Amino acid sequence: MSPPLFMLFGILFGFILSRAGVTDYDVIAGMFRLTDVHLFGVIGSAIGTAALGFWALRRAGNRTISGEPIDLRRKPWQRGAIWGGLVLGAGWALTGACPGTSLVQVGEGKLVALFTVAGILAGTYVYGWFRSRLNTPTVSSPQVQEVLRP
Amino acid sequence: MYDAIFVSPWPWWVGGPAIGLVVILLAWLAGKPLGVSTGYGSACALGSRLSFFRGKEFEQPWRLWFIVGLPVGGVAAALLAGTLAPTTAYGQLDLLTNGSLVAKAGLLFGGGLLVGGGARWAGGCPSGHSIVGIAQGAVSSIVATVGFMVGGVVVFNLLYAIFGG
Repeated sequence: MSPPLFMLFGILFGFILSRAGVTDYDVIAGMFRLTDVHLFGVIGSAIGTAALGFWALRRAGNRTISGEPIDLRRKPWQRGAIWGGLVLGAGWALTGACPGTSLVQVGEGKLVALFTVAGILAGTYVYGWFRSRLNTPTVSSPQVQEVLRP
Repeated sequence: MYDAIFVSPWPWWVGGPAIGLVVILLAWLAGKPLGVSTGYGSACALGSRLSFFRGKEFEQPWRLWFIVGLPVGGVAAALLAGTLAPTTAYGQLDLLTNGSLVAKAGLLFGGGLLVGGGARWAGGCPSGHSIVGIAQGAVSSIVATVGFMVGGVVVFNLLYAIFGG
C-alpha cells in the first residue's frame, strides 16, 4: 500500500479518538483521579476487540487481504518499559494527552495542544540525542584508538 | 442518528471497540501494527543526522502519513459535531493555571518532553503499547502500561494537591 494512503487510517483513527472522548482533558483528569471509569472502559474494550481480531487474523494465516504477511511481531522485552513507562505517565498527567491525542486536539481547535506536540517532538529528539551520544564510539574510547594506531 | 454518531460523546462500549477495529483494519488491509510515537521519531529522522534516528524503525514513511492524518480526523470530528472553534481553553487545567497562558504553555511543553522521551525509552505509547501490544500479549507492553498508569495517577494527584484545584 502506498504511504500516502495511510493518511486515511490516520484520519479515521483521529476521528474515532475524538468521538471516544479521549482527547478531552477533563476525561483524562477523571481517569487519573480514579473517579471516572469511561477511559478504563475505552482502553479495555479496545484491547479486547484488537485481541479478538489478531486471533482471527492469526487463525487465517496472518495474511493481509491481498495475501501479504502481516507485521505483528511482539515488542521485545526491555527494562526501559518500566522507567520510560513511568516518565511517559508523568507527562500524560501534566498534559492530559499522549502522542496520538495531542495531534487530534490540535485539529479539534485546542490550540494549546501545539505546545504539547512541540514538547513531544523535542522530547523524542532529546532522547535520541542522548542515545546517539551513548552508543556512538568516540575517538577517545580505547578500542577505537587501538584501531587508529598503526 | 446523526446526533448519536457525530454530536453526542460516544459511550465507552462504542469508542473502545471502534479503536480496536482501526487496529484490526490497519493489520488486515495494510499489514501494519498501529502506533503513533514511532512516527514522531520518523519526523525527527527527517531533519536529524543523529545515529539513533537512522534506526530501521524510523524508516517507515507510512508512519508519518498516519500521524499527519490524526489532526485532520480531529478537524472532521469537530466540524461534524459543530464545535469547531479555535480556542486556548483547556478544561480544568485553566483553573489550575489561573488562566495564565504562559503557565499552561510551560506545563504542556514540559509534560510533552516527558511524553516524548518516555515513549522512546519505553518503546511505545498508549496506542502502540497499551492497545496493540497488550492485545498481542507482549510483556513489555503490560509493564509499560502499568508504568503509564502509576506515573500518571501519582503525578496528577501530586500536581493538584500542591497547586490546588
